[in-house]
Amino acid sequence: MNDRPSSVRNKIAQLRATFVEQLPGRLSDARCHFDAAKANPNDREAAASLHRFLHSIKGTGNSFGFKDLGAAAAQGEHLAGKLLENPVSVTPEFWLDLNECLSNMALCIEVLQDFGAAPSQGDRTATFEMPLDAGAVQEESNDKLIYVCEDESLQAEHLGEQLRCFGYQAVLFNNTEDFRRAVLEEQPAAAIMDIMFPEGDSAGANVLIDLRNNHGKLFPTVFISGRRDFNARLRAIRAGGEAYFPKPVKAMDLVVTLDLLTRQSEPEPFRVLVVDDEPEIAQYHSLILENAGMATQVVHDPECVLDVVGEFRPDLVLMDMYMPKCSGREAAKLIRQIPDFVGLPIVFLSSETDTKKQFSAMTVGAEGFLTKPIQPEDLVTEVALRAERMRTLRALMARDSLTGLFNHTTTTQLLENSLTAARRQDGQLSFAMIDLDRFKAVNDTYGHPTGDQVLLALARVLQQRLRNSDLVGRYGGEEFAVILNDASLEKAKQIMEHLREDFSKVVFNVGDAKFSCTFSCGVASFPHAGDAENIREAADKALYQAKHAGRNRVVAYE
Amino acid sequence: MRILVVDDDALAGEMTAAVLEGLGHEPLLAENGVEAMEKLAAETAIEMVISDLNMPLVSGIDLFREMRAQGINLPFILLTGDDPEGPRQQEPKLDACLLKDFSLEESLPEIIAEVLARHDG
Repeated sequence: MNDRPSSVRNKIAQLRATFVEQLPGRLSDARCHFDAAKANPNDREAAASLHRFLHSIKGTGNSFGFKDLGAAAAQGEHLAGKLLENPVSVTPEFWLDLNECLSNMALCIEVLQDFGAAPSQGDRTATFEMPLDAGAVQEESNDKLIYVCEDESLQAEHLGEQLRCFGYQAVLFNNTEDFRRAVLEEQPAAAIMDIMFPEGDSAGANVLIDLRNNHGKLFPTVFISGRRDFNARLRAIRAGGEAYFPKPVKAMDLVVTLDLLTRQSEPEPFRVLVVDDEPEIAQYHSLILENAGMATQVVHDPECVLDVVGEFRPDLVLMDMYMPKCSGREAAKLIRQIPDFVGLPIVFLSSETDTKKQFSAMTVGAEGFLTKPIQPEDLVTEVALRAERMRTLRALMARDSLTGLFNHTTTTQLLENSLTAARRQDGQLSFAMIDLDRFKAVNDTYGHPTGDQVLLALARVLQQRLRNSDLVGRYGGEEFAVILNDASLEKAKQIMEHLREDFSKVVFNVGDAKFSCTFSCGVASFPHAGDAENIREAADKALYQAKHAGRNRVVAYE
Repeated sequence: MRILVVDDDALAGEMTAAVLEGLGHEPLLAENGVEAMEKLAAETAIEMVISDLNMPLVSGIDLFREMRAQGINLPFILLTGDDPEGPRQQEPKLDACLLKDFSLEESLPEIIAEVLARHDG
């Protein structure tokens, strides 16, 4: 009577951990029985021991929720049963099958050990509850639909939970048939698919092949699997898998991939800046690239390069090596001096065939060196390859690793882009700066892991409640920023007030303790404030006022 | 309520016991049918038996039949890793037969309440 449910959960977690810990030892015992039975199929004792082991793993594995392991053991138990019944009937294939069952179990065990057997809620980890009544601030927020098909329900739930934090609507399926039916009803933006299911070793891949070939259903799919071997990867690729993650899967990696795969609009064309002092050559190269679907801009005078790079924001610069006023090397150095462009790929184009000189070009950080004259298709391939890599890298670099929100640099950049757009369209835009109240006290009292949970919860509230067109970034430690496109100061303040209320209702649990957090917020708007620096300063001032007026409030900069 | 849990897999038994503890019961563990019969003879306060089906020597059904033969009419719940329909048909007098899986935490309280209601009624 005196045991609280939390201590029971703890005990179950410990039992699970013990079970997983003992698995490798028990499996190797079973291997011995297997060898003995194989050497002498009439060794009843060995066969019976093997059967008992498989039966026990099936039962206990299922009791603990390890379905993959339970399924593999069940298959083995079935085979071992045959051996017990009629030792004379066994064929060489029988031993291969039974051996495969044991190997599958070994794989499952490896995954369980990698993944950690403890269930997600330990006693010391902070969890948070979202108030159910808090509706979205904007009804129009349409999260992308993701189907997760995975028979290990605990892993699936964990994954689904994480994806929801990043604004995906995750629907879980624990078998391929339910998944198939759901796809026929409504096609997802993307799917995350396990490969091995109780219904078949490559059931996950097969159901996708069936959907594609027989129903014309095609959508990006990311495979996750406990198997790291080549064959599993190959099967995934044949089924049209866009990516393959061995378990345990890191949610952040998955989110970045999903972001790339589910970009709703057509991918933006690559932007290439062509720098060449000879107009005809520049035009020629730019024409080839535009024919391949890229956007280009041409610069003849190296003096203008810096301005154009800042405005045009190219994914790549194609630069002539020899120009009158300043050489390509020097122009590249100039570009590299600006911190924002350190990572911008620069490809030199020249008739220079001297490898020594080519090498010296590389030392200023050129991405590549192409020799004139170049075949049009080669130019397109070389440029597309590097621009693509740049984009992927940028997507990874653009996000904060804890919350998955845009990082400081990206947020600043996005603010500038949004301002430019607002200015051009004579529109409006608001910028909100958010700072958690007394966050240091949370870290000091409950520890940093709990502090991280608070940051994640705030990130989640911001992402869930805002419109798709709003951009959310983590500006620094406990500081967040929101760009509200096309929102007046009044409207932005109202939206942020809602968010402030929602967040203050989130309850954090650490062990037996419960606490809540609040934030202060400052809002400023364009055209009221002029440029990015201006608007950021204004929002910062308003935030300062909010803090001094007693925290937990939103102040607009008038 | 004091409940005897019989399972040859110590971890599985502990798992069932942990669930019962969470419900406010007092579980007692036995590793096989023989030990179970000894505990039943020694302890008078046991009010229910929850047993695994598949155990070496004495199976859960054997244990149930032995208990009834000795006039011990305690409510008896059988746990199995396979389809529970099989044992149900083999021994219709069982109070309940449950599939061992991770939903035990949710399914067990209901079944216990149901079995008790039937016994008391």
